[in-house]
This record gives sequence, C-alpha cells and structure tokens, in this order.
Amino acid sequence: MLSLTHVTKLYGSVIGVNDVTVDIGEGAYGLLGPNGAGKTTLLGLITGQLRPTMGQVRVFGDRPFANPDVLRRIGFCPAADLTERRVTPREWVRYLVRLSGFSSGDAADLADVALEHVGLADSLDRPLGTLSKGMRQRTKLAGAMAHDPDLLVLDEPFDGLDPVARHDLVGLVRHWSRTPASVQDKPRTLLVASHLLHEVETLQAGLAVILGGRLVASGTATEIRTLVDTIPAEVRVRCDAPRRLAAAVCDSTGTESVRFEGDDVLVLATREPQRLAERISLAAVAERLSIHELSAADRSLEGIFGRLVRLHRGVAS
Amino acid sequence: MTHPERLAPVPAPADSAPVVPEHSRHALAASILAVAEFQLARLRSPLRLLMAGMGVIFPAAVMLAVRWAAAAIGNGSGENLDAGREITAAIGMDRAMAATMLYALIPEAVCMLGLLVTMCPAVADELERGTWIHVAVRPAGRMALLLGTYLAAVLWTSCVAILAAILAVLVSGVPDPLPLIGVLSGLVILSALGRGALFALPAVILPKRALVASVAVALVVEYMAGFIPAVINQATVSLRLRSLLVAWMGWRYKVPADMRMLVDPQPPWLQVTAVLALSAVLLAVATAILEYRQFPPSEEI
Repeated sequence: MLSLTHVTKLYGSVIGVNDVTVDIGEGAYGLLGPNGAGKTTLLGLITGQLRPTMGQVRVFGDRPFANPDVLRRIGFCPAADLTERRVTPREWVRYLVRLSGFSSGDAADLADVALEHVGLADSLDRPLGTLSKGMRQRTKLAGAMAHDPDLLVLDEPFDGLDPVARHDLVGLVRHWSRTPASVQDKPRTLLVASHLLHEVETLQAGLAVILGGRLVASGTATEIRTLVDTIPAEVRVRCDAPRRLAAAVCDSTGTESVRFEGDDVLVLATREPQRLAERISLAAVAERLSIHELSAADRSLEGIFGRLVRLHRGVAS
Repeated sequence: MTHPERLAPVPAPADSAPVVPEHSRHALAASILAVAEFQLARLRSPLRLLMAGMGVIFPAAVMLAVRWAAAAIGNGSGENLDAGREITAAIGMDRAMAATMLYALIPEAVCMLGLLVTMCPAVADELERGTWIHVAVRPAGRMALLLGTYLAAVLWTSCVAILAAILAVLVSGVPDPLPLIGVLSGLVILSALGRGALFALPAVILPKRALVASVAVALVVEYMAGFIPAVINQATVSLRLRSLLVAWMGWRYKVPADMRMLVDPQPPWLQVTAVLALSAVLLAVATAILEYRQFPPSEEI
C-alpha cells in the first residue's frame, strides 16, 4: 500500500529525511519521533506535497506527488491548528469534501455524517473561532475522513488536547482503523505521527521511529521497548572519589563501560541500571564515599531516541 | 535491532462505517466552484466589505469633486472665469471627458486595486492561515485553488467596479448614461479577467512577496510597457482596453494623430479575443507552476 525506497529529502543543504526505506501495508501504524525529527517531511512525501530529492515514494503503487488518482484515496489531518475563525465546521468539511471532487449535495451529506461521527453534531454551525482546540481537532479529523480515504494520515492529531478529548479522539481513530475490509469493501491504512510514545501505543499500532531524518527502528511497541532495553543505559554518578567507586562496582556483572568526566563524575553503562544503582549504594557505604548525585538511566522518549540512534550508528552493541 | 522493514498489520475487529455516495465525474469543475464560493464567503468579511464600499464610492467622489471644483471656478470671478466655464461644461456634458476619466478611475485603478487584494494573496493567504496543506492534499486542490480564487477575484472585483461605474456615471451627469455604463462594464470585466490572470503569476512564483511583485508587474508591464507603441506592444491588457475604449466610444477618427500609435486599430472582437487568450496563457503557466511547487513545512503558518 505504501512503500518508500531509499528516500531522501533535502531543503537546500538541510536534510529533512535521510535514506528512509519502509513498506507499510494494511492496518494501523505510528510514526514516532521528537520534534524536528522529520516526521512532517515524511508525511509530506507520502501525501504528495513534497517530491523526494532521491529515492522513490509509492502509494497504492503510484508516485503521490501531483497525482490526483493517489491523492483521491488519501485523507490527511495536518498538525497545524485551523485558523479559519469565521467558518463553521459544516462549511469547512463540506468545502474539503467538494475539493475531493464530490458534488455539493454529496459533500453536504458526507460532511454531516463525518462531523456526527467525530461527535460534533451539536456544533455544526458554530464558527471555528468559538470552538475549543479539541473541537477544532475533531473538525480537522472529520475533514480528513469524510471522503472515505483508503489511507488516513494524521500528523500530531492529539497535540494540545486535554486527557478527555485525547481519549475520545484515540477511540475515534482506533475505530476508523479497525473497521474491517468486509464492511468497507477495501483495505485501510492509518498512519499517525506523534512525538509521544504512549499516544501511539494506545492505538495498538505498529511503530516506526524516526530521528534526525532517519528511520532508526520499527516494530510493535513491545518490540521497540524490548529493543531499547537491550541497549546499555548510562548511569551518572558524581562523588568525591570516582575512581575508587569504579573499582568497587566494575566487577559487578552488567557493567559494560566506564568513563570519567572531570575529577568527580563517573559514567557507567549497563543493561541492568537498577542492579547497578544498588551496587553503587553498597560500594559507597563500604568504601565510605560521598555520593553527591546519581542520575538514573534516561527513560524519557528523548533518551530512548538517543539510545536508538547510538544503536543505529553502531556506537552501542 | 529491528531495522526498517515491513511492519506487521494490526488485526481489525468487526464494526460499521458510513456509506459514501459515488464520486462525481466533474471533479475539477466542482473543486473550482467550491474554492470560488469559499473565497467569496471570505471576501464578505466586514473589512473586505468596507474596502469594497470605498472602491464603489471612490470614482463617484472624484467625479463629484471635479464637478464641484469646476463649478466653483466657473461661478467665481477673475482671470480663471473662462477656463472654469469650459471645465464645467466639459465635466457636466462632455461624454468624452467623463469617459476618459472614468476609464482611468474604474477599469484601470479600481480593478487593479481590487485584484491586488483578492488575487495576489491566492497562495500566501492559504500558507498563512495553515489551510494550504488541507487544499493541496486534495486531488485537484492546487489547480482548483488558483482557478477558484481567480474566479472569485474576477467576480468580486467586477461587481465592485461595475457598481462604481454606475454610480460614477450617474454622478458625472453625462447625458444618455446607459451606453457609457455598458462600455465601462465591458472594460471592467476584461480588465478583471486579464489583470487577474497577470497577478496569478507573482501569486504562485513569489507567494510571500506577491503584492509587491504584482505592483511592480502592474507598473512595468501594464503602465510602462503598455505605452510602448502598439505595433511593438501587443501583449498588454492596457493596450487592448484602451483600443476597445476608442472603438466602443466611436473615437477611432477623433483620436489625435500623436496618440494613434498607442491604440491598436484591430476590430473589437480581436481585442477581446486577445485579452481572453492572454488570460488563458497566463493562467495555464501559473497553474503549471503551482502544480509542481513545494512548500517545506516551515513555510506554513
């Protein structure tokens, strides 16, 4: 359904996407990466807004750039908020559906169905400027889904939403992606870009992780977590005698590398950060060392991305 | 490590979905109409309506001011008395003088200004509002955006300029005003079609500097090159409009000899065809450029 082969996109000397190769079939997928990682550029390539500098993008077997036959089958919900303040959700979605080539009457029916589907039946004729961010997000989603696309691409669809609105939208998107081919008469693919792992996890989607324009890993959420856990995590200790501490803990199994930063910082790499922390405590007591600071392994998404990149570049084993 | 490869699909449980109607065959026409309607709705904002109102009143106000000034000079005493009487007579009764002033004010000034504010931001407005991406991802979105905006700009500007013509002709006090209104309306429509297409080019080539670029194009192409003798300059809208004014007002043999080189002697149908052909070529080029333009994500909003 969707295939990228050694795709690179350059903006002058700036790399947007770097040598990405991926095949995506029917089902739900998440594109995960921090801000500036190249997600929006990748979505721009997939939705035919951008042309690859190198490599090949194929959607439904065709190049998407300036190709109406492909664009007709794509629904796209961009990350940017709607700034059309005077327009109502009904007018906006009808407009978008008409731009997909539907007659005015058909567009009116489809727009009303889609807006009802996203829970905006009571706010059809309120100007967008008077709606909450969550309602505007729903409007955008209705605009992307109303013409019944085969590929639905959502860029940061849950960004800035409160937990309730987020929960509702996740349910909505999950519902769309799981509507079976037997009902729809055609396979469907959902691609959601996000910088929040848990958002994509809740969709129970396959994951692709992008960083610095490169696709650094892919698989299910469990596979990604397992993969991350295999990468040595760094534990940083600031103490008065780092070399003595290193000598005391290095014999413990799982410590894979040691380095010193200045006179008072010890950085240890391990696959078992919890066990290492316990070992450091015991060594500090035994050796009568003063520990000023102990930073646990970075479990944040940025940390996970950083470790994946190191792994991708062959820095970590 | 799991390297980029084919991802495993998520199984799909049973559920229901809305039924969609058949797709229209006239996708492009429907899209163009949709954009035109949407842009016209945007133009009905209080600020745009105020600007349009000013555009309607401005030529009539100028004509009225000239009449009052001429009357004041004519009713005064002293050395300007004779000149004032002549001007009063000319403004109140002479169709040629009124038509020339109204031509300069309406098909040239009002149309040009109207198109500058409606056609120039065709792409820049979408990029600023964050709506470009919504439109560009639709099958005929880019083409429809340009042609629909053009249609809306032509309709809006023509309506404003024709209303301005009606009001100004009535205020100017020329006898038998209907034919003059007809001539001006025809010139307004052709001016809007031609200049709208001309401004489409800067709108797609330099979206963020479209207004400045369009003013430069208007000055250089329409006003400076437009006054190159007609045997050389065949590709400006201003030449065609001037020639049509001369033809439709029946001035062909009244034009001073030194001005004849600025007028094309070809018949009116050929002038109209030339404006339409020029508009079609300009729009085709602009559409082709927009179809292949790429806007990096950072250029939106």
